[in-house]
Amino acid sequence: MVKFIIKRILAMIPQLFILSLLVFMLTKAMPGDPISASFLNNPNLDPEVIEELKEKHGLNDPWYVQYTNWIKRLLQGDLGVSYVHKVKISKLLGERFANTVVLGAATLIISYLIAIPLGIIAGRYQDSLADKLIVGYNYFSYAVPLFVFALLMLFIFGFRLGWFPTSGSVDPQVTKGTLEYYLSRLHHLILPATTAALLSTVGTIQYLRSEIIDTKYQDFVKTARAKGTPEKYVYNRHILRNSLLPIAAFLGTDIVSILGGSIFIEQIFGYPGIGQLFISSILQRDYSVVVVLVMLSGFLAILGTLLSDIIMSIVDPRIRIEE
Amino acid sequence: MKRRSLFLLTLFVVLGLLLAACGGGKDSAGDEGDKASGDEKEDTVQLVDPEKDFPKKVDKRDEAIEGGTLNFALVKDDPFQGILDYNFYEDAYDADILQFFAEPIFAFDSNYEITNDLPSAAKFEVNDDLTEIKVTIQDGVYWHNGEPLEAEDYAYSFYIIGHPDYDGVRYGDDMISDIVGMEAYHNGETDVIEGIEVLNEKELVIRWNSPKASLFKGIWPYAAPKDYYEGIPIGELSGHEKVRVNPIGFGPFKVENIVPGESVEFVAFEDYYQGRPKLDKVILKVVPTATVVEEIKAGNIDIASFPTDQFNVGMETPNYELITRMEPAYTYIGFKLGRWDAEQGVVVQDRDTPLQDKALRHAFGYAMDNATIAQQFYKGLRTPATTLMIPFFAEFHNPDLEGFTYDPEKAKQILDEAGYVDVDGDGFREDKDGNPMVFNFASMSGSETAEPIAQFYIQNWKDVGLNVQLLEGRLHDFNAFYDRVQNDDPAIDIYQAAWSTGTDPNPYGLYSKTAPFNLARFDNEENERLLQEGQSLEAAKDIEYRKEIYNKWQELMLEEAPVIPTLYRYELFAVNDRVAYYTVDPQDADFGWHQVALTSEEPAK
Repeated sequence: MVKFIIKRILAMIPQLFILSLLVFMLTKAMPGDPISASFLNNPNLDPEVIEELKEKHGLNDPWYVQYTNWIKRLLQGDLGVSYVHKVKISKLLGERFANTVVLGAATLIISYLIAIPLGIIAGRYQDSLADKLIVGYNYFSYAVPLFVFALLMLFIFGFRLGWFPTSGSVDPQVTKGTLEYYLSRLHHLILPATTAALLSTVGTIQYLRSEIIDTKYQDFVKTARAKGTPEKYVYNRHILRNSLLPIAAFLGTDIVSILGGSIFIEQIFGYPGIGQLFISSILQRDYSVVVVLVMLSGFLAILGTLLSDIIMSIVDPRIRIEE
Repeated sequence: MKRRSLFLLTLFVVLGLLLAACGGGKDSAGDEGDKASGDEKEDTVQLVDPEKDFPKKVDKRDEAIEGGTLNFALVKDDPFQGILDYNFYEDAYDADILQFFAEPIFAFDSNYEITNDLPSAAKFEVNDDLTEIKVTIQDGVYWHNGEPLEAEDYAYSFYIIGHPDYDGVRYGDDMISDIVGMEAYHNGETDVIEGIEVLNEKELVIRWNSPKASLFKGIWPYAAPKDYYEGIPIGELSGHEKVRVNPIGFGPFKVENIVPGESVEFVAFEDYYQGRPKLDKVILKVVPTATVVEEIKAGNIDIASFPTDQFNVGMETPNYELITRMEPAYTYIGFKLGRWDAEQGVVVQDRDTPLQDKALRHAFGYAMDNATIAQQFYKGLRTPATTLMIPFFAEFHNPDLEGFTYDPEKAKQILDEAGYVDVDGDGFREDKDGNPMVFNFASMSGSETAEPIAQFYIQNWKDVGLNVQLLEGRLHDFNAFYDRVQNDDPAIDIYQAAWSTGTDPNPYGLYSKTAPFNLARFDNEENERLLQEGQSLEAAKDIEYRKEIYNKWQELMLEEAPVIPTLYRYELFAVNDRVAYYTVDPQDADFGWHQVALTSEEPAK
């Protein structure tokens, strides 16, 4: 197992290297650059300064020179500085990442809290009214665009009912570190997290439902029933445990995908996170940030599949990682 | 199966109702707007005249209460950058935050020139040649950390901007780089800027190498808290906590708390030199464009910039008022006439194109129906532009010039007379030698109306027989667009772009042959002479003379038409009914946030 993990991690290195090369070339191939873009709003400035700044940031060098410099710094643990935000990328990411992680984790938890019971009910009471309602909700959540739904939720629970704050991640008037601060954060978190969760249940419910339906006609279930095992026990012990396998398989990728952030949720609820940073960095040609973010999501994607494999090998005895 | 489809139907109905409810009152206003834009031809009448239909301020100061908390929206779809020092900020939204706690040391009059006649943190005297200014910091002006504002603080701004490690964009300004000894300091040859002499705690003198005609408009007016920044290397300042999280100024409000990227809490600064602000607090937060109108209606926001694309003619504004001002910007159509010679640093107007003929450019100008665009696409919040000197610069704008008004017959006549006729009968005119003419038109993507507007112009031109195609059949994003226009891509013949002018009317940086931003690559002797003259010492001293020069320049640019201004812009602000005083009128030059007050603790809903 340990050997397997080490092997996989070693295999990540060339993957990431190729990714970095590709991303770097592609971002540099975008027309425009961060310095010129910021100057266009300011025509009264001296063009020589643009050149001077470009030179200073090494933007006039050929891409492979820039790439080598970048890789060298990266290996020393220096992610570089954002051209637009003028802070170290590590610091910039730190601020946004915390928000994204909190929002993503809350979304994931709420989504499981909704999806697992619904999936179980739908599977167990197949073709009942409850099942149909759940499947209906599933179609709905799959079909409705997130930005429409988010606006709707915001309108109803934020503006009409006034139950939740309508933007931001925390009230600026509370002092950091106090209980009030954390409560305020939680209060700001519920609406966006629930909104995102309500629309991200589709996979879980669908898989769980079909797995349960599949499993309940399996021979070992029949055997269990024939032995006189109580129905509750049949479901909880025999069917559910087996049906949760695909969910476990997705856990790794799910955990990783929440770290990518959600642009719509962040934008509509004014919740600063990674997703928005990524889009605005592309639009402003903030190369250094774009490259780091793509690398990060690439790294997480690889890590996610690894996690999934490990989880599977733990929960499913049929799968054994070959040493 | 049947039951399922019934269920789905119910679901859709319910959803439909919810969505309809969501639109709410806004929809009805939308319908009116649509109706108005429905009957096309007859409706060339002005639906909205921003100058007449909206006030420029709200003033109910006699009803004002003491204290209260004002909610200000930063209408923006992503977090603010938060580079909160005038010497470093680049983003206009950061300036919106800065205005509450920091301010220039000088006061500016309604022509955006520094003045001693209004209350200010410093007074000044300039010499006759405009090469020297003596600045006297007034007593009683304090930074938020309790330190008095001193001459050293003002000097320190220049030491920051000129520093070799400075990572901002301000150094290029001639008002800064031409200070005596600045270049040596910038190149790291010396630690002292010779031309900035601090006489004592409150006085200093700045000297320039050459006379500065734009001194009153262009002098760098901001100080930096030198003691507060002590020990921080200049290269690290822009990312430092003292700029990002705990910035100070000597403005009416103090920064109490910043939630990075999303909100700021300000509290009244008791020792503000113009008197304690009327408000106790200001809460500023980022509000996305998609929800700002709801926030305003809900009373959560007292003052916000109102997205003009969400404005509808005749819309109801139950608990707020819309006020307006002209933006310092204009949209224009440019004709690519040459290229930029980077080595010589000059424009070379040498492109082989029929557009070199100004008669053709005139025809393009008269063919464009800007009035309809302004009314139908911008609901009157943009107005047809006349000259390149925008009315924002009331001193210099010549209101008597009509510019290129929509007159397709005249356009056709000009083309006929100049010899552009349709010889092969395809509906498009050929050039003087009978060869087909096709022009590529580049325009930027961004707003929803970008594409229809580009198509509208193309149709306008087609109506007079000019064959114009959208470059590569599509719009291009901001960076890609400017990258190609700046690099004089031969595929682009005509382009639509916009300039933000700032508060300095001097057009030299946009139209001189030595300006890389002269994107049309237009080179003309008379133009060069007028631009030089406009920024001469003589013009700086004699406003009438400068007016005359800029008048001639406006006429010349209409005659030569290397670019044709198309639209002037207005911006809207929503102000909650409980706000006792707020103004965007440039005439209210003495406006400051310390004057803003409320009429009640609770917002109007």
